[in-house]
Amino acid sequence: MPSSPESEDAATGGEKESEEFSIRPAALRTSSLNFPRSLLVHLLMLAGMLFLFAGLGAASNGMTLSKQPRDPMSIPRWLYLATGAGVIGASALLASVVTDREYIHGVHTWSGPELSVDLWWRPLVWLGRGVGVIALALAVYLGFTGPQLPTASFTILVTFVVVRAGLPMVTYLGGNLWPTLNPWRTLLMWLPTGFIEYPRRFHRWPAVGGLLLLVWIEVILPVSAVPRVLASMIVIYTVLTLAGGMLFGPEAWFKNADPLAVLFDFFGSIAPVQRRTDGLTITLPGSIPPDRDVFTNTSDVAFVVFLIWELTYSGFITTETGAGTIEALVGMTDVGVLGLQARAIVVYTGLLIAGFAVFFGAYWSASLLSRRYTGTYVTARQIAFRFAGPLLAIAAGYHLAHYVELVVSLSPALLMVASAPLSPPANPLTLAPPGWFDGLNIAFVLVGHVVGIWAAHATAFEVFASRLVAIRSQYPFIAVMIGYTVLSLWILSLPGATPPFLL
Amino acid sequence: MTLDGIAVPETETPAGRCEYCDRPFPTAERLTLHKGLEHADELDASEQEAFEAARAEEETQLRDFRLNAIGAIIVLYFGLLFLYAIVT
Repeated sequence: MPSSPESEDAATGGEKESEEFSIRPAALRTSSLNFPRSLLVHLLMLAGMLFLFAGLGAASNGMTLSKQPRDPMSIPRWLYLATGAGVIGASALLASVVTDREYIHGVHTWSGPELSVDLWWRPLVWLGRGVGVIALALAVYLGFTGPQLPTASFTILVTFVVVRAGLPMVTYLGGNLWPTLNPWRTLLMWLPTGFIEYPRRFHRWPAVGGLLLLVWIEVILPVSAVPRVLASMIVIYTVLTLAGGMLFGPEAWFKNADPLAVLFDFFGSIAPVQRRTDGLTITLPGSIPPDRDVFTNTSDVAFVVFLIWELTYSGFITTETGAGTIEALVGMTDVGVLGLQARAIVVYTGLLIAGFAVFFGAYWSASLLSRRYTGTYVTARQIAFRFAGPLLAIAAGYHLAHYVELVVSLSPALLMVASAPLSPPANPLTLAPPGWFDGLNIAFVLVGHVVGIWAAHATAFEVFASRLVAIRSQYPFIAVMIGYTVLSLWILSLPGATPPFLL
Repeated sequence: MTLDGIAVPETETPAGRCEYCDRPFPTAERLTLHKGLEHADELDASEQEAFEAARAEEETQLRDFRLNAIGAIIVLYFGLLFLYAIVT
């Protein structure tokens, strides 16, 4: 039992009440809570636990960029992985001890007072829209005419450091700015739109396909190395987005089909700063506001699982083991039909899709198992939708672990290039993050999972009337989360390498 | 939750349905708990009593579960501690 006085009071209070048969059920749902202090104690305890574990498993970092050999680990790898699994298991056990409905509901749906934004909202929105459109125009123009050095290219820095890495961080750690910044949404305001109604039966599958395609392009084409290639891709993306937005109307398009807008929407739903009708409010990170129905279709779940898989995948192919696997697979497929390059592309694509299928299958079987194990009449589909929210916290943790070094090392270059886009520096400054970033990355992965565990616990208590059923329903999901964690901690501990056979 | 996400498997017959929202439940205990939580204002005295009894029973089971969970945390913690002591 967590040692905070408030939560013990709450728990024992609940027990006493039910022993005396004097419980007032109506009060269960309506009473307001004064929990933040006890919550703080919980969070501090968890943080302490995480850093202890992260310190013990002093493995090494880094996914995308670093290709240097790393320090050997001071403990055997299996022990480091077992410790990571232990952190997730222990947090799940710890969460399952908290069974006071009132407390869980209060923490999960807590929100701060609303802050009115009437005075400054509109000018700020227009400023954001202007920045978005100007950045898009500059990115395309400078991609073709600017320097072709990646770290001096406005196009590459804005695309990868800002849109790929920085903005999602701002979104899940702060709030979602993309609906304002989204240059295509702004451009569509001046174009005729809405000729056909968006076919409902497609749900969000176009966005899932779109994200898959974006990741595929990122892996196969030299978009992060040659600004001209990236600028061409941005032009194609712009044409497709404007065409889709004009055809189906911007609301339907950005809600269902545009991968970037959906990505920011999803990360925005767990963001601490939320926009309400009257202003801004603060919620706890990882909790989806109760009035938002984020997951209503299988495609929504697929999108979130793909976010998790995509980060695992791009981490894996930039390790020695990953590169070795790719080389071995390319060697095995040598049947004399395709050239080396083409076979490599087939292997990369196959691995991307197969791994996604495994990740999605694991999650879906967890919902099936959860249903069978608890004997509930809530359908497996419904269980899968309800437990998908916690996956967003996990995806956010992975994203942070994956990209924080990129942002730190390239932000000076970005500032230099962005402050004078038309006369870029010949030799932009890049930073080398210190060694303790390795431990930080491990901590990010674990924190994401721990937040996910708590969110799953709160969700289970919302879905099931019986608290024992609510606890048991989480077991399969906890197993899947432990699997995801161990896999990504393993990848974090592998030495880095350049993905083979690519341009 | 609406009835959208609810389905009774073909091989089973529900132990009961909620009189207020028609949701089926596999056990009477879960039905009682559901009524007490979701329809607290509409219950009559006997339903109220049943809910409180079910809740007390649930609380006893939860207490047992909590003991097991704390036991598991201790095993996990000391297990890892000893592993570290042996391995490094």
